[in-house]
Amino acid sequence: MAHLAKAQNPPKIGKKRKWKGDGAWAYAFIAVALVVYAMFTAYPVVSAFIISFQEYRPLGSVFIGFDNYVNTFKDSLFWKSITNTVVYTALTVPVSLFLSFAVAIMILPFKKGLQTTFKAVYYLPAVASGVALSVVWLWIFDPMTTGILNQLLSVFGIANQNWLGSSATAMFSLVLMAWLSSHGTSIIIYLAALLGIDTSYYEAADLDGASFFQKLWYIVIPCLKPTTLFLLVTGVIGSFQVFQNAYLMTGGGPDNATTMVGLLIFDNAFKYFEFGKAAAQSLILTVIIAGISLIQFKFLGNDVEY
Amino acid sequence: MKRKTHVLTSLLAFSMLLTTLTACGPKSNEGGGANAAKAGNGEAKDTITALLPPVSGEFQNNFAQMEKDFNALYPNLTLKIEPASWEDMTQKLDTQVNAGSPPDIAFIGSDGISKYVQQGMLMDITETATPEMIADFDPAPLEYMKKGEGLYGFPAYMEVHALGGNKEYLEAAGIDWKNVQKNGWTYEEFREAIKKGVVKEGNTTKRYGFVFATAGVTAKDYLNILIKNAGMPAAFDKDLKYAYTSKNFLEVLKAIRQLIDDGSMPKELSSVDAGKRWNMFLTGQTMITGKGLATFENSAKKNNEKLKANDGSAVQGSIPVEYIVLPVPTFLGEEPISSTVVDGYVTFRGKKEPTAEHKANVVKAAYFLASGKVAATTNNDLFAAHITKSGREAAKSMTVDRNPDNVAAVETMLSHANPARPDIPVDLGAKAIKIEDAVIIPKLQALLANEITPEEMYEAVKAEAIGTFGQDGIVND
Amino acid sequence: MALYSNHTGHKGVKFARNTFMIIVLVLFALATLFPIYFMIISSFGDPVEAGALSYTLWPTKISLDSYKFFFDYSEYSYRWLLNSLIVAGSVTVFNVVFATLAGYAFSKIRFKGRNVLFFILLCAMMIPYQVTQVPLYILIVNVFQIQNTYSALILPGIVTVYNIFLAKQFMSSIPNEILECAKVEGCNQFQIFIRVIVPLSKTVMAVMAILTFMDSWNTFFWPFLVTNTMDMQTIQVGLKNFRFANTTYFAPMMAGAAISAIPMFVLFFSLQKYFLEGVTVGAVKG
Repeated sequence: MAHLAKAQNPPKIGKKRKWKGDGAWAYAFIAVALVVYAMFTAYPVVSAFIISFQEYRPLGSVFIGFDNYVNTFKDSLFWKSITNTVVYTALTVPVSLFLSFAVAIMILPFKKGLQTTFKAVYYLPAVASGVALSVVWLWIFDPMTTGILNQLLSVFGIANQNWLGSSATAMFSLVLMAWLSSHGTSIIIYLAALLGIDTSYYEAADLDGASFFQKLWYIVIPCLKPTTLFLLVTGVIGSFQVFQNAYLMTGGGPDNATTMVGLLIFDNAFKYFEFGKAAAQSLILTVIIAGISLIQFKFLGNDVEY
Repeated sequence: MKRKTHVLTSLLAFSMLLTTLTACGPKSNEGGGANAAKAGNGEAKDTITALLPPVSGEFQNNFAQMEKDFNALYPNLTLKIEPASWEDMTQKLDTQVNAGSPPDIAFIGSDGISKYVQQGMLMDITETATPEMIADFDPAPLEYMKKGEGLYGFPAYMEVHALGGNKEYLEAAGIDWKNVQKNGWTYEEFREAIKKGVVKEGNTTKRYGFVFATAGVTAKDYLNILIKNAGMPAAFDKDLKYAYTSKNFLEVLKAIRQLIDDGSMPKELSSVDAGKRWNMFLTGQTMITGKGLATFENSAKKNNEKLKANDGSAVQGSIPVEYIVLPVPTFLGEEPISSTVVDGYVTFRGKKEPTAEHKANVVKAAYFLASGKVAATTNNDLFAAHITKSGREAAKSMTVDRNPDNVAAVETMLSHANPARPDIPVDLGAKAIKIEDAVIIPKLQALLANEITPEEMYEAVKAEAIGTFGQDGIVND
Repeated sequence: MALYSNHTGHKGVKFARNTFMIIVLVLFALATLFPIYFMIISSFGDPVEAGALSYTLWPTKISLDSYKFFFDYSEYSYRWLLNSLIVAGSVTVFNVVFATLAGYAFSKIRFKGRNVLFFILLCAMMIPYQVTQVPLYILIVNVFQIQNTYSALILPGIVTVYNIFLAKQFMSSIPNEILECAKVEGCNQFQIFIRVIVPLSKTVMAVMAILTFMDSWNTFFWPFLVTNTMDMQTIQVGLKNFRFANTTYFAPMMAGAAISAIPMFVLFFSLQKYFLEGVTVGAVKG
């Protein structure tokens, strides 16, 4: 049957009438997702929304109107944590995206065996236990001269730094950790997307005598746009919620230099039992992330058709 | 239109899905059997659930035996123990409490009690606990399980947070540790002592006099054990005024800086964690370490044995160490008050008011866990002192290999243990914790990192305290 | 032929380019592999407590005691692995099926409310789990009363928005002509999905399977929350039991982590062929 050897530029879905009646199928296809969503996500979210207007108590919560929101907006620590999170996200997400992309591109030309090895190697850290990771990183950031990073610095004659203990370097340390921690997931997703690019594009470009970087710029990057959008949006969402690193490595210190908004919400919900406040802060956070995501869709998602 | 058939198709898909989901229905009732609140029709049968962390190395292995023993003691009762890892169990418990369905008993630190009292989810067992049970416990630790008028469980042990020294180095520095164990020491004596413990090679320090784990939130442990010995055993004084605005507080902060500036403690102290300082202790990089617990003697002993065996399993670069329990120094001529931690079996209630019968059964279970054989075994494992008569009785047949000097030192410290303060109202307690987390810990981290002065920290705490409690709610001296 | 122009240029240039890239890749790999390396060498140490942990680049002693300790520590060690397999396996299968279906609908079928619905789904990802977990716990434990069952472990994860999003983005690059051709030939949407989309989406399905399995396998908190007996715990929950009041059995914990990583490797290598070769549109026969 249809043997489509040549793919042209993806044309926009034009003929609307052809797709009429498919709506029912579409709903059937997303039915499971929607039911699961309604039950296990929408319901808890609606509960959280209600709780955000309450002083939550397991035995009889009290409705307090917008107090939780007002208090949050007045809370300087909340804004500091938002700033910290934004800084952290801005420093980590684009860099990890670039690193994963570069690694994926570099793996590409090698023979299958080597490709597999590299893929496995980069995927490996993702399976490591979080505890092992934090122990190793504490060793790397050990403030004494015995610490790995400090030993490295001493080669250049620089005195040992108090990495996690000083507000000048604590945030940088967490960022460094994110840069060097596993990018396995993004690399694998990028590789899969790279391999999905139709070779006929390259063939056409080769005929035109395009250089490597021209191909990269005119074929690879546009074709990977949906993947990049995906990794960017999910990366930002993940980064805004991150609290594990700060929780394990610095506990938010020193002097709240590394307090992330995720950590703050966690503390409010569980340390202080101010569940209503935690819910309100989460919803504010959600609005912020949703706004950022919309911007990303706007700039990267023109093939998504809004 | 074709639409109708498609709607049908999707409905079909939908209903198929629903069957998939509801297929889980029957199973659910099985699982629901765990609900302890259902006190069946037979008048006596009951199940008590307990959420327990690995209190000691062997603790979780004994669960089956504990359940069996309990059932043998009360044939109509079933004790169902849920295991949980230590650091995560608070989160599980908190989720259960927030959901209104906590276990009947949970093993937590007594400092957590006020948080749950505030939520209204603890069960007051004052009326239910029999006089015999109460009489079995030492009064001091039992006080820790009280809040206001209520008693909310039974204590398991009372541990002293102290310091630990390397015997050889202490003696080399000319410190009469036996005397210190008996009579304590002042800050000035301590300061001189740890100065003598420092060993330098050129400009680099080979051995510090004192290293305390202060990384992250553990910073508060350091401050807390010091301020207790500076006339501030609790966040509130007897008149319920906030204590950490006292001048003594500033003096302690100055001392914290002083010890680092002397070079007796590492300048990187702010990121030394518990593992690191223990490693430093075993490898001879420090003379004294903190916080010290009784079980450390055991850990040190084990490492010594490995060194003897010389099979490469001992800590890299470690040396034989004899662990000596040392008290925390006192400040400004104040009384020594040792920092104690009481953990225990706390009793919870669900959304429904528990029946008197179920209440009695929960108390039986909590008492079973906190006394006699169970308590004796656990506390011996931990090198912790026994705090029940029945536990001491049961422990007589068990042998523990401990340094008698250390045992005596712990006894001495327990004799002036930090008294419990059930009189501090829960809302005040909660506010104090908030100040601690929001101001004291962050500023202390900055102080340790030499980013602010003691005076700046003191002013920050004072300002926050005035904002929270008002001018009249704090100590002015 | 491909992104890299292998047929043009001198051999020397190609060699230099590849050598450079290998060096970069190896250096970066070493940095990311270091924690794993540390995990493995520690697992060969003695079952000592973490306070006594040696920070060393070379193992001072090779022993399998920790592995033995891990399995001897609890009679449930094997059961934890089995539970994890059951849970992660079912979650993976459900996700691959349902997320691919939904991803297809969201990327290629026009229907009313598509974009809005999708964005609402996406928003669900943005809400920190700390706030949703208590209502979810109430639902599972107090309403459905299915705590301590496989259902409780599996159901909330049947299909994740992350996977739908992933599928949607990958499918958006499938040319619409193919779908139109299939339509012209009288295929309904379900037939299109089976005959056209699935063969073209093997790569993303394989990726999804691996990532979902890994994620589910590594999940700690939810299984910890809804299980209350040791025989229902998963490996991640079980591993945490090695942490005691003031000590951690570090080496056995690392041994457990190493053991628990094995199934992920098996899965990785068995699905490997699906993303080694790119699926080209031309290769598909309608």
